[in-house]
Amino acid sequence: MTMHGMRGLSVFISDVRNCQNKDQERLRIDKELGNVRNRFKNEKGLTPYEKKKYVWKMLYIYMLGYDVDFGHMKAVSLISAPKYPEKQVGYIVTSCLLNENHDFLRLAINTVRNDIIGRNETFQCLALTMVGNIGGREFAESLAPDVQKLLLSSSCRPLVRKKAALCLLRLYRKNPDIVNVDGWADRMAQLLDERDLGVLTSSMSLLVALVSNNHEAYWSCLPKCVKILERLARNQDVPQEYTYYGIPSPWLQVKTMRVLQYFPTIEDPYTRRTLFEVLQRILMGTDVVKNVNKNNASHAVLFEALALVMHLDAEKEMMSQCVALLGKFIAVREPNIRYLGLENMTRMLMVTDVQEIIKRHQAQIITSLKDPDVSIRRRALDLLYGMCDVTNAKDIVEELLQYLSSADFTMREELSLKAAILAEKFAPDLSWYVDVILQLIDKAGDFISDDIWFRVVQFVTNNDDLQTYAAAKVKEYLDKPAVHETMVKVSAYILGEYSHLLARRPGCSPKEIFSLLHEKLPTVSTTTIPILLSAYAKILMHIHPPDQELQSQIWAIFF
Amino acid sequence: MIHFVLLISRQGKVRLTKWYSPYSQKERTKVIRELSGLILTRGPKLCNFVEWRGLRVVYKRYASLYFCMCIDEDDNELEILEIIHHYVEVLDRYFGSVCELDLIYNFHKAYFILDELLLAGELQESGKKTVARLVSAQDSLVETAKEQASSISNIIAQATK
Repeated sequence: MTMHGMRGLSVFISDVRNCQNKDQERLRIDKELGNVRNRFKNEKGLTPYEKKKYVWKMLYIYMLGYDVDFGHMKAVSLISAPKYPEKQVGYIVTSCLLNENHDFLRLAINTVRNDIIGRNETFQCLALTMVGNIGGREFAESLAPDVQKLLLSSSCRPLVRKKAALCLLRLYRKNPDIVNVDGWADRMAQLLDERDLGVLTSSMSLLVALVSNNHEAYWSCLPKCVKILERLARNQDVPQEYTYYGIPSPWLQVKTMRVLQYFPTIEDPYTRRTLFEVLQRILMGTDVVKNVNKNNASHAVLFEALALVMHLDAEKEMMSQCVALLGKFIAVREPNIRYLGLENMTRMLMVTDVQEIIKRHQAQIITSLKDPDVSIRRRALDLLYGMCDVTNAKDIVEELLQYLSSADFTMREELSLKAAILAEKFAPDLSWYVDVILQLIDKAGDFISDDIWFRVVQFVTNNDDLQTYAAAKVKEYLDKPAVHETMVKVSAYILGEYSHLLARRPGCSPKEIFSLLHEKLPTVSTTTIPILLSAYAKILMHIHPPDQELQSQIWAIFF
Repeated sequence: MIHFVLLISRQGKVRLTKWYSPYSQKERTKVIRELSGLILTRGPKLCNFVEWRGLRVVYKRYASLYFCMCIDEDDNELEILEIIHHYVEVLDRYFGSVCELDLIYNFHKAYFILDELLLAGELQESGKKTVARLVSAQDSLVETAKEQASSISNIIAQATK
């Protein structure tokens, strides 16, 4: 373990680590904070080294979870230090502790600007980094022109221009008006000719943001992006350093394909053909390899290519190739790939009519609904929801209901809601729909909002044939030992309106229905009581000839 | 974009945090607590992605440390997983077979290095040699300043003997 630095800092860290418990730690921290506060009161006596040490200590204390508010000013003030070591600490600690909403960050704008426009390259880098990480709107307004100049300056080294590109990206995100689109289209196209892959990667990130807001202005960049992608995919001219486990700059490939996804079409047939060739090669040529990192990198490129193919709404053949690939992916052992397979299949549903092809994989997707990994279960649920239609709704909803019983807490709400929506949208017949909703209330009553049971009631009210069925069904649920309050609500309403239709059945006389409902009264909250009471009244109204005994029993409750 | 980077130990101790989106102090504490609960409890055979507050968190465990990066829903998850690996490889190269203790005592270095890798929540430099050169240049600058400072104080000490 190499010790790269300040002894005082290391000693302090050791002290803290040797504390036996939280109280001891707190004591040691408070002692140190008191010490630092004191030393900073008499700042003239502090050497630059000491200042640095104390500011680092404050960052360390902050990372442990303690408050170091008084330290913010100190860190910011170090930004104005004349020498690199202190300035560096000031910039870095400031960008760790503060964010764009801290008012006094503004106080540093002038110093930061001086560093940016000054001749000292290392200072420029420090400033660009901090502004790029935590700069806000005001920084955008004050500094954008200077940062732009650096990015476009041929006398600046790649190191600075790379940082300028990403710094400008941040400022643009904070205030899109700082980039004058008219001027920038040509400049971005020029930047794409950049040989240095660090600068190119950063510029590509900037381009993604610009194009996402306004692709029309940047058409000239399109063919260049395709050329870049082609060069990378063929591994032409890619320095060894930018080859990651044999894959030529996977990140740049991904970013470039991301840019292309913001252009609605590719008009030029030559460009279009070139791009499709590249994409075809990626789709067909990405093998699974042993090396995890190479695998991840090549598949990162593959999945982005898939997204691009989907976006271009390519020929039918390419699309079915994509679905076939995804079909393979959702069944592999490697969980990351399974996750991404499910996620991308869901995205495909938004595009053309691949629904039929995707349905072929239904069994595998249902298996994924029960995967041990909650992330995968979530993706499977989304996909099932998206691929549901009249032909498979019954199967899918029934799977969801079955799964609901064992689902973990965090998924129940979403599961119930989705099942309810699907049941209503695609019900083959209404009695099935009623069954589903009642099952949902029974299994996950806490997550069933009033809207859902109101709708059931609405359907039942509007469909005479449904009424007897619904009344019988809710009575079954009420007979169970444990009944969710929402079930009581919906049952009370339905039985109030329609229990008379059941009157001849065993156990369904008005008296029996009334007792069944009435025994729930003590267990329910105030919102349910009115529903119960009106149910009693309705039951009474439906009895012909009137039952005096029951009548007096019920009236007694009201008066 | 990457909204924040989190390095936490298996016991939930924070070894590094870098925020590229504005989270207040209170929010940061909450985020760290929530994510620690979510991620540290995940078994080894599960995927490296969790869904949280409409965002995705990509994480990977290296020995006793969890490296986490929070991204948007439509970002490329595998690419981020390899950015994490890239960071680990750079740290490894710098410290010579890095371990958690290195990052504890030299957390400031971990921040310097991260600042050469990510900027504005995006990948800044994918060439490991370039990053190594840059960080070592920074180290030299600091060393030189130290030497200058000590040589100046030596001169003064001599002169005032």
